[in-house]
Amino acid sequence: MRLFGKLAIASAIAVAGAAIALPASAEDSVKLPNLSYRTGPFAATGIPLMNGQRDYMLMLNERDGGINGVKLGYEECETGYNTEKGVECYEKMKAEGAIVTQPWSTGITLQVLPKSNVDKIPILAPGYGFSAMQDGKTFQWAFNPPASYWDGASMILNSIADGNLDNLKGKKVAFLHLDHPFGKEPIPLLEALAAKHGFTLLPIPVGLKEMQNQSAQWLQIRRERPDFVVMWGWGAMNAGAITEAVKTKYPMNQFVGIWWSGLDGDLKLVGDAGKGYRSLSWSLPNSESKIMKDIKQLVVEPGHSLINRDAGEFEWVFYQRGVMISLMLAEGVKTAQDHFDAKVINAEQLRWGLENLKLDDARLKELGADGMLPPFSTSCSNHTGHSGAWMLEWDGTKFVQASDLLQADRAAIDPIAEKAAKEYADANQPWPVNGECK
Amino acid sequence: MLYRTAGQFKTSYHADHALFPVRQDAWLLGVILVCAFVVIPAVASEFAINALLIPVLIYALAALGLNILTGYAGQLSLGTGAFMGVGAYACYKIITIFPDLNLVVAIALSGFFSAAVGVAFGLPSLRIKGFYLAIATLAAQFFLVWLFEKWSWLYNYNASGAIQVANVDMFGITVAGPNAAPVTQYYFVLGVVAVVTWFAINITRGRIGRVWKSVRDMDIAAELVGIDLMKAKLSAFAVSSYIVGIAGALFVFLWRGAAEPNLFDIPLSFRVLFIAIIGGLGSIMGNYLGAILIVALPVMLGTLPGAFGLTIASATVEHLNVMIIGALIIFFLIVEPHGLARLWAIIREKLIMWPFPH
Repeated sequence: MRLFGKLAIASAIAVAGAAIALPASAEDSVKLPNLSYRTGPFAATGIPLMNGQRDYMLMLNERDGGINGVKLGYEECETGYNTEKGVECYEKMKAEGAIVTQPWSTGITLQVLPKSNVDKIPILAPGYGFSAMQDGKTFQWAFNPPASYWDGASMILNSIADGNLDNLKGKKVAFLHLDHPFGKEPIPLLEALAAKHGFTLLPIPVGLKEMQNQSAQWLQIRRERPDFVVMWGWGAMNAGAITEAVKTKYPMNQFVGIWWSGLDGDLKLVGDAGKGYRSLSWSLPNSESKIMKDIKQLVVEPGHSLINRDAGEFEWVFYQRGVMISLMLAEGVKTAQDHFDAKVINAEQLRWGLENLKLDDARLKELGADGMLPPFSTSCSNHTGHSGAWMLEWDGTKFVQASDLLQADRAAIDPIAEKAAKEYADANQPWPVNGECK
Repeated sequence: MLYRTAGQFKTSYHADHALFPVRQDAWLLGVILVCAFVVIPAVASEFAINALLIPVLIYALAALGLNILTGYAGQLSLGTGAFMGVGAYACYKIITIFPDLNLVVAIALSGFFSAAVGVAFGLPSLRIKGFYLAIATLAAQFFLVWLFEKWSWLYNYNASGAIQVANVDMFGITVAGPNAAPVTQYYFVLGVVAVVTWFAINITRGRIGRVWKSVRDMDIAAELVGIDLMKAKLSAFAVSSYIVGIAGALFVFLWRGAAEPNLFDIPLSFRVLFIAIIGGLGSIMGNYLGAILIVALPVMLGTLPGAFGLTIASATVEHLNVMIIGALIIFFLIVEPHGLARLWAIIREKLIMWPFPH
């Protein structure tokens, strides 16, 4: 007991000391943290994405010594998709001099978003977060390139309606979603479109606790016989839905998911039975591109990567999408460096960089990623870029491209987004709006 | 030596029953209060305030509320998270309906809503006891979280179904919302927690507290000596839920800034229950010790590898963290099954006798 007591006191002092002393960051690097979730219920979706993000940054450091001689300090802070850990990680990374926040969870985004104006650290949420973040005048510090959830919802509807939403008249579209801010996000747009084009929208929520057991939801789908099922799933929910769809023999070619519902691992579980399942994606995997070859040669082959090579994770849509996410961030860093003629940029300069991204075909080719991302550019009023996306289809073993580049219905989205941004600003007064931006 | 009680004579019953029978206890509390009110805010970083101090205080307050019900009145509850949610949503609605209302008043009012809900779900305690009552309160947990999700009026019809804290001013200083300074928020939370703790110490030491304890120790005997069980149990539910509701309002308004319904789900209830159990049931101080162990220690452990210049992947640190905290909980419960507060009591007794134990 006495020894225990001494040990306890000694370790308590050590821990308290460590909490106060925060390590200083090196001079020639920029700190680009990622609030990762390699643990918890969403880890299956998170791990390949985090691996891709990490490996691209490692590759740049290895191949070019960073960007313009500045090392990219990619660092993960594990949240397990838990909002409480999110606060902790955000504060920790802020104290250590982070110049960007990659919040990942919608719940964490909700907490961090209001603070971005005060702390002046840009939020980069590629393909997630609030759709209204496209309004860069209101959400000056938040970026969700290359496409928002509302873009995604509109593109999926366009795709299943063969380009004309009036084709959906009288049809029934089930919207299977996670009962969580993330899953509820597209509902306002879908409702508006359903009213306008005369199709029935059937929202079917899946509670966080029911993710792995969706028999009730699929019983409802069987009873209602919707013409299409649109899925807004995340983590364990996707695998649950896809296996249930196979079990209930729902026609796979009428089942479409958002970009986070296209994890190769989930479809591998059902293999051939999942043939025909489609998932929207703003990234196309291409293992033969220069960028991926470099990663393979410099990061994967020497064993620096954390990917599961036996499972073929390198080829996965999610892994290569993670690479694209880091590519956008690295491009933001480079744009800011060039503009401000600085090496080690700060958070405000990175904000400018992210606001002036220009990833056109030529630039993507130069980076060695041609065809892996649809070209887009951001501006002070447009923080999303609205690149459009492709439909990917599961062919039994992997996802293949199944459509040309789809575009969202801007006329339907922009007014709702503007209204939502205004509501947000009004509810959070005083909320600074960028008046200089025309 | 430090705890020498020689020369401290008690010459009346009043002195013998004082809150601090040993003078050093009062000094110790004074030192802690000076630290909490003066020293810590002066030296702590923003990270320490937002990730360590404020959550410890809020969780300790929630555990204090639960402890009054479970530790003092002996009614096991698994609905703490949901009652915190009631407090948070009530405060949110009060602030949106009356934007000019003082936040302290809004938080104090929101406690009454959770108290009312707590009493309603406490009614089964008049017939059922122990584990059966725990299951009945579990129903509150499921029902209320479901309600937070489905009743859009509660979150002002927000599209994402979450509540967000706008900037709230009090006497010209922003105390809640994104513009609030962490130190201000710390003082706000500390002030509320200190007042409620003072109230809780007094109520548990007084007549009502003794009534609760007698119900906890043997309710039939308590009834035979003339204690009204219904009043005792329901008052315990009311006071407990009131404090828990205040903790919930602070949780969202002074710390998280935003909340979605599933935040108030069972894991939160369990977390608060663990704090109360590990800290020590039937003790006020134990809640603080438990909160430090369960809430603050993982955060501190997370910063350890970095401080020593070790590069361990963040996910690995998280796994290690879970293992270490789990092991510590088992360790402390084996060393002292009655919780950390009891452990401190033993240490204190030894200190009083030191250096000449019998």
